[in-house]
Amino acid sequence: MTLEKHGENRFVVPIGPQHPALKEPGHFEFVVDGEIVTGASVRLGYVHRGIEKGAEDRTWTQNLYLMERICGICSHIHATAFVQGVEKLAGVEAPPRARAIREIFAELERIHSHMLWLGVAAHEGGFDALFMYSWRDREVVMDMLEMLSGNRVHYSANLIGGVKYDLTPDMMDKIREGLNYLEERLAHYLDVVNNDETFIGRTRGIGTMTREQAQLLGAVGPTARASNFAYDVRVDAPYAAYAEFPVEMVVAQEGDLHARFVVRILETMESIRVLRRIFENMPESELVTRVPRRIPAGETISRVEAPRGELFYFIASGGGEKPERVKVRTPSLCNWGTVITLAVGHKLADMPMILAGIDPCFSCNDRLVMVKRNRQDPQVWTWADLRNYGIEYYR
Amino acid sequence: MSTLEEILQKAENLLQPYAQSSSRPETNRLDVYLARENLIPAIKVLVEARWGYLSTITGIDRPAAAVEEGQSPEEGEIEVLYSFCSGAAIVNLRVRVPYADAVLPSICPLIPSATLGERELMEMFGVKVEGTPDTSRLILADSWPEGVYPLRKSFVPAARFSGGAEGG
Repeated sequence: MTLEKHGENRFVVPIGPQHPALKEPGHFEFVVDGEIVTGASVRLGYVHRGIEKGAEDRTWTQNLYLMERICGICSHIHATAFVQGVEKLAGVEAPPRARAIREIFAELERIHSHMLWLGVAAHEGGFDALFMYSWRDREVVMDMLEMLSGNRVHYSANLIGGVKYDLTPDMMDKIREGLNYLEERLAHYLDVVNNDETFIGRTRGIGTMTREQAQLLGAVGPTARASNFAYDVRVDAPYAAYAEFPVEMVVAQEGDLHARFVVRILETMESIRVLRRIFENMPESELVTRVPRRIPAGETISRVEAPRGELFYFIASGGGEKPERVKVRTPSLCNWGTVITLAVGHKLADMPMILAGIDPCFSCNDRLVMVKRNRQDPQVWTWADLRNYGIEYYR
Repeated sequence: MSTLEEILQKAENLLQPYAQSSSRPETNRLDVYLARENLIPAIKVLVEARWGYLSTITGIDRPAAAVEEGQSPEEGEIEVLYSFCSGAAIVNLRVRVPYADAVLPSICPLIPSATLGERELMEMFGVKVEGTPDTSRLILADSWPEGVYPLRKSFVPAARFSGGAEGG
């Protein structure tokens, strides 16, 4: 179509919705001129589950478990953002030890999330040895989470007013041991990322974003910090126990893919350091505080630093058993704008890595789709249809 | 480093000419109620003063109290919150538009990244955002019917899992 108009070969390459580089659904259209991308667009919603609507139909306690299921990578941070908001509405504060335990889970989650990302991103760059090693090592932190909560993914540590699980000195020793090992491995990965020539060839100067761009495009989290846009909710507006056990913000100047690797690895090492500090000075207190049965009417905003950046919850209570409105703005949504803009001018072959570079989480974006009953179209199955089919099939 | 109070005070001073009213519901939060025509000037003054960043756009359905049982009220409003954050400080710009005239100007010329928030607002609440660069669907399925806005209170999801655990 544009062939005669521009006298050049332009082509639209659709990528996705199935496995667009990552094993999650999203649809991208890249307009290419030869190998070079000249335009990009994104279509989300393939794993949209109607969670914000669903929240209005569930009690405060049920919602805690629903929010935790927004994301399978950063489940704890969603629950933390939610309970902290509800606690603010109820006018209570979790006890010091509970807040420290929230921070412990959050930082262990950050370690596992960043290591998961390191593997995925390396895999997109064709560096599968790094992928396999980093995922092998990630099992160490998964084991810690399982030891603490009995679960690898949905730890479900939070309660409204506190936490469920305590840490014994024995557990802390085991975690310390694992952290020592991880720190050593991360130092090695940092060395690989900084010195492997092939790797540098795939990352340095790719997808570069300036500080101004990061701000204008609304980038958050490590993606923003790699462009020297220094903000981190843990530092700027401390929650949980971050006021008592602060973290150091990690920023980089370069703004390219390479900087995003460095920032995430250094952040993981910072998480290890803060965990050690917490273990040394673990506060003693109850784990749960009393929360009034009814959550008073009101509105609040709860912000936390998820592994991918600022996570924003707006919670409105009408004084009833269920929230009036829960709005969730996840960090991945903010970072999409950067991909679409940064893609332009790069080779098509760099797209998987640029996509992976923001550590996108599709489930986080797509919270709101519903299964629709459409009687005209028997292809669209309702939940009940699917369930009945399943029961019949295995009868 | 200015304190939280100074940051909020600065925003309050900047926004004062446009505000219908304002309140401090939380220590770190300033809510400023605006008329629709003052939305763009108010955002402009924040952007020009480099006061924080737009964190998100939240829609809230405010239906009128139901007149009779089972009768869906026609009159109601959509309230839209533009949340700006600067450090720990949060400023909510709050605008209300009636169902019958649910139109807001796009803020994308001032803040390009607002496009996703505006698309979500259009799809989920049926607010028409005038001048927004992209009006295509972002989240809902292609086959989703026109004019059905799932986050309005009047929308009740039809298919509910009806067996086993309660409520589901």
